[in-house]
Amino acid sequence: MSSREPMALIRSIIRNRVNGLTVVGSAHGIDIDLLCGANAVSASQESYVGFEQDFGMAQNYRRGCESGEIEIQDNCCYTLVQQLRASIQGLPFMPIQSVRGTDFEKNHPSYKTIQSPYSGEDILVVPPLTPDVAIIHAQYADLHGNLRIEGPPVVDLLFAQASRTVLATVEKIVTNEELKRLGGANLPYFYVSYIAEAPMGAHPTACYPFYAYDREHTELYMSAAKEGSTAFKKKYLKDFVYECESHEEYLHRIGGEDTRVRLSSWKESADAWMELYKGST
Amino acid sequence: MGKNCTLGELLIDQLARTVEDDTLVFHGFGSPLVQIALHVAKRVYTPNLVLVAGATYGVNPDPPFISPTTNDWVHDRNSECHLSIGELFDLSASGRLGRMFLSGLQIDRWGNTNVTQLGRKTLKLKLPGGGGACNLSCNAKNITLWTAAHRSEPVKGKRRYRIVSQCDYVTGFGHKNADGITRRQLGYRGNGPQCLVTDLGVFDFDQDGHLQLNALYPHTTVDDVLENTEFEPRMKKEVKTVSLPSLEVLSIIRKLDPLRIHEKELLPGDRSLTLEEPNNAAIC
Repeated sequence: MSSREPMALIRSIIRNRVNGLTVVGSAHGIDIDLLCGANAVSASQESYVGFEQDFGMAQNYRRGCESGEIEIQDNCCYTLVQQLRASIQGLPFMPIQSVRGTDFEKNHPSYKTIQSPYSGEDILVVPPLTPDVAIIHAQYADLHGNLRIEGPPVVDLLFAQASRTVLATVEKIVTNEELKRLGGANLPYFYVSYIAEAPMGAHPTACYPFYAYDREHTELYMSAAKEGSTAFKKKYLKDFVYECESHEEYLHRIGGEDTRVRLSSWKESADAWMELYKGST
Repeated sequence: MGKNCTLGELLIDQLARTVEDDTLVFHGFGSPLVQIALHVAKRVYTPNLVLVAGATYGVNPDPPFISPTTNDWVHDRNSECHLSIGELFDLSASGRLGRMFLSGLQIDRWGNTNVTQLGRKTLKLKLPGGGGACNLSCNAKNITLWTAAHRSEPVKGKRRYRIVSQCDYVTGFGHKNADGITRRQLGYRGNGPQCLVTDLGVFDFDQDGHLQLNALYPHTTVDDVLENTEFEPRMKKEVKTVSLPSLEVLSIIRKLDPLRIHEKELLPGDRSLTLEEPNNAAIC
């Protein structure tokens, strides 16, 4: 949602005119909405796409779903976890003690009810999920590709373990010695296919301890998204994605060093942190 | 001395009072009212609560303030330890999550919730989605439902009810679905929704699992509830009026949420509402 989304990677995917994507994840926001705004998504298996109470509904995502451009295949967090676990463990399915009786059961013909060979009770089983590509933004990697995620990894580690290819951007590439000094890797290098250093690569979402969530920029994003898909392309995508030939150009357009300094001010005090979230909306 | 509070503060206190001590409790994202209620519960009513913060999975955090988004690091500051997402959901699946809080753009008479879509056969509005609500609704031992938008003012003569007869889509399972399938038939561990806290009153569910009005607020009436609900909820024999939060509770809320993030859940017209303690109020 507002933390550690792989935004630089997503901007690059859009610039490379990739489309027809099926996106899958747990709770997301601007990352998925941006892809939808660029018409890159044809199916969504997300469990949540929105901006919480902060800015409400994800407008591009909503529009894409409602126009029929995006096929809706909503999932739920634990179902997703169990499907990833099935894939990680090489199992043909995973049982799950929920979902039956809700409309997710009806909308997912791939979910089946079987009888437990032990107790005889009915239990739902869900198929393995093996994404082609997982995209992750982390704080650190070493030169070998060992990844260190600080703070809640949420589903990133499971996604990395289950996916065929893992693309990661990081704030900083350091030596293995330095990585160990920082607390060590939580994703071993052999899971990681490619890494690139992209400072502020999660912007406008947060990547603590480097920078907080850029609420100001997100507000600008939302006001363009609310105006409709054509306005969004003209007022946001053009300036911050299509015309940015590199990540450096993007950083320049969002205010360069001043923005970095503003967003890292959260460290100074609770008041300074809070100051970043005061705003008109 | 006259004690008064806002509607948001009253809702937070009512939500906090639904928690039992010595249980593991989780709140999801996008729910500042509940988030603050759990901090109130932990500090005032139920000190042995195991509080797991939504989205950061921090255990017993002590955040300096509430920020506009739930997975901000601010919310797991001073946590004792952390859970992983899989661990939290495993705890729920095995019946060790004491209480979960769920909401919806639609909540129906049997406590089913919809955060997926409006429109049954044809999609009218795509909603953000339920996160883990579907899974947790089945397994969490107890569920508190809430909404701060029960009041549904007519738009062009038509109301879009929040509390509806039947959800267009069942994201979270209540006591039974439209096919009449009950949670007992499905073998679920959880007891299902136990209460519903709204901007108009506090409800519970009767023996059939049907919504039932339990208490009102100093500023609301039975007529308000009837007018703003798509069906006729059942009534407790004696519908009480809740008491306002204590000064201790109010001071915790005001200190924890100086940005008044929780008010974003309220209808715009309710944000400036000030409530006064009525005579002979009963604790609900």
